[in-house]
Amino acid sequence: MKIFIFHLMPYAHLDMGYAEKYRAAWVVLPNTYFDPKKGHELYNRYLDELELAAELGFDGISVNEHHQNAYGLMPSPVVTAAALSRRIKSAHLAILGNAFCLREHPLTLAEEHAMIDCITGGRLITGMVRGIGAEYFSLGVNPANSHARFQEAHDLVVEAWTKPGPFSFEGKYYHFDYVNLWPRPYQQPHPPIWAPSTGSTETIEWAAHPSRRYVYLQAYSPTQSVARYLNYYRECAQRLYGYTASSEQIGWSTPVYVSATDAKARQEAKPHIEILFNKLLRLPFEMLFPPGYLSAKSLKNMRSHKRSVSGQEHTIDTLIEQGIIVCGSPDTVRKQFMDTHRLLGFQNLLCLLQFGTLPRDLTEKNIRLFAREVMPALQALTDKQYAGMQVRAAE
Amino acid sequence: MPPREKTLQDSEIDVRGCRLNVRRSGQGEPLLFLHGAQGLNGHEPGLEALTADFDVIAPDHPGFGRSDLSAAVDDVADLALFYLDLLDTLKLDRVHVVGQCIGGWLALEIAIRNTARLKSLVLVNSAGIRLKGVPRADMFVCSEEDLLKLLFAANGGAQWLQSWRATADMEDIYDRNRAAAARYSWSPRLCNPKLDRWLHRVDVPTHIVWGSEERVIPPAYGAALAHLIGGATLATLPDCAHMPHIEQPQAFAGEVSRFIRRAAR
Repeated sequence: MKIFIFHLMPYAHLDMGYAEKYRAAWVVLPNTYFDPKKGHELYNRYLDELELAAELGFDGISVNEHHQNAYGLMPSPVVTAAALSRRIKSAHLAILGNAFCLREHPLTLAEEHAMIDCITGGRLITGMVRGIGAEYFSLGVNPANSHARFQEAHDLVVEAWTKPGPFSFEGKYYHFDYVNLWPRPYQQPHPPIWAPSTGSTETIEWAAHPSRRYVYLQAYSPTQSVARYLNYYRECAQRLYGYTASSEQIGWSTPVYVSATDAKARQEAKPHIEILFNKLLRLPFEMLFPPGYLSAKSLKNMRSHKRSVSGQEHTIDTLIEQGIIVCGSPDTVRKQFMDTHRLLGFQNLLCLLQFGTLPRDLTEKNIRLFAREVMPALQALTDKQYAGMQVRAAE
Repeated sequence: MPPREKTLQDSEIDVRGCRLNVRRSGQGEPLLFLHGAQGLNGHEPGLEALTADFDVIAPDHPGFGRSDLSAAVDDVADLALFYLDLLDTLKLDRVHVVGQCIGGWLALEIAIRNTARLKSLVLVNSAGIRLKGVPRADMFVCSEEDLLKLLFAANGGAQWLQSWRATADMEDIYDRNRAAAARYSWSPRLCNPKLDRWLHRVDVPTHIVWGSEERVIPPAYGAALAHLIGGATLATLPDCAHMPHIEQPQAFAGEVSRFIRRAAR
């Protein structure tokens, strides 16, 4: 299994009293809450944490994109990846993801990804996402076209990476007379493309298509949903497309905290993880799902789901219980991942080892302990330890 | 698309391959009502009141209500041409056009292109132009509770929402209407920044009606439209926000009927 460290780069100094005045840590939270001097410290601290992980033998370093919010300070993950690209000598750099379709000109991102791929000698992984609903408010892009625009931006970028230029591209949303990428990406035909999502059947069916076979990455979900969506990818490949998906095509992304004992892990992580879920991820339904962002069917499902859980605040206990985070002693955490791997067989794991307000010392301790006590056993996992779909179904 | 309910007034019109759901009733000169971002749910007493004087024709725009989406219609400019096709299809002449919110914007986009089949315009809390420095409330980002406060000056919102919640079918249409409204008006929000350059082309009698409590498109927009459109008159409806045809149906219908009798004979 390949193990990635994942970072959101939250604005950990946020005055959490904001919640009494503003509905969300996104879109409408005034940027006067951001202190650039503290931002300077945080960016450099977070980059240190990622570089440390690379030294400790993680297979990849992963960053992502969000706009105009306190939850994640990477409106351009390309900048983060570029800042890391010369320091990190052998790990993959994974941008999971970049929202090409939020750009008026996705080719500028395609160029930047090609640059990073050349600089790193082919260690870039490109994640393609639509961006969450809030992004469509912040950047003024029409959510009602987002699926179609996502697919067209994808086609444009892949063509730009693979087809000899100059050529013209005539789409519905994008029109270019001269597509002629300099540089071309180092990896041929192009950097691996991943599709991170919080669970969308449309995305899974798209990613699993035999012409793509992109890695599907399930983020932030209770164990039940992780199982449902990862298995759906394999079923999709088999039933819709008639091929057997490889375990390398699926991944899981989750917050992880390791400490000496289960009790200590819970106690240390509690305030910081609860801030992540209750304050930084505070997003009303209307911001998360602007009109047209979800298909009519998905919106209906999401609304009934929301009505059943509305008003609930997360606690570390509920988060652990539902499997949304993995937290405990090294034995507990290792066992939980190995058990889940036996059932689901994912060969990519993204660990969010800093979250919310988790400070520098605890983050570093978490990264080191995970790398020493948990990671080696997971890196050794292959399909041999995966029970397989049929065995699982028989249980 | 949700299945159609069978009601007497609803009928389906084919406009170059797009099935459009149209409510039609009343006697008199034809009056085309162009709905706003919220769509229509059959409980619009202001439209009912107009049927006393007019042959009221109220379609669901493509993608709204029970009308198909049209591959030919991406934005309000396309919608305007689509409605000119509709007027051709129905062979309507000397039509009074009443548009609210996005429907007012649409009426203007139609009128700057071709007024041959139009007799008059009434613009009600109309979207369409952009006034720099006059903030508008965002009906997409706000909570449902705040949306009702935006749409209605008094407490009419709860009942209005109730009629959308009456059946699963209506709930689906409510979502469908929000998505269609976003499709046509998300960005630039509720306007065509170049529209004001062409408003001199509006050459039919025009009346502008604004709710005194309107915040989605504040009354300053009504005053600006009255200034930009030659000969236009302006009236304010007291105790009324974004939805005059629901909140102040008699005052709304009175404004429309009086204007048409007075100015558009």
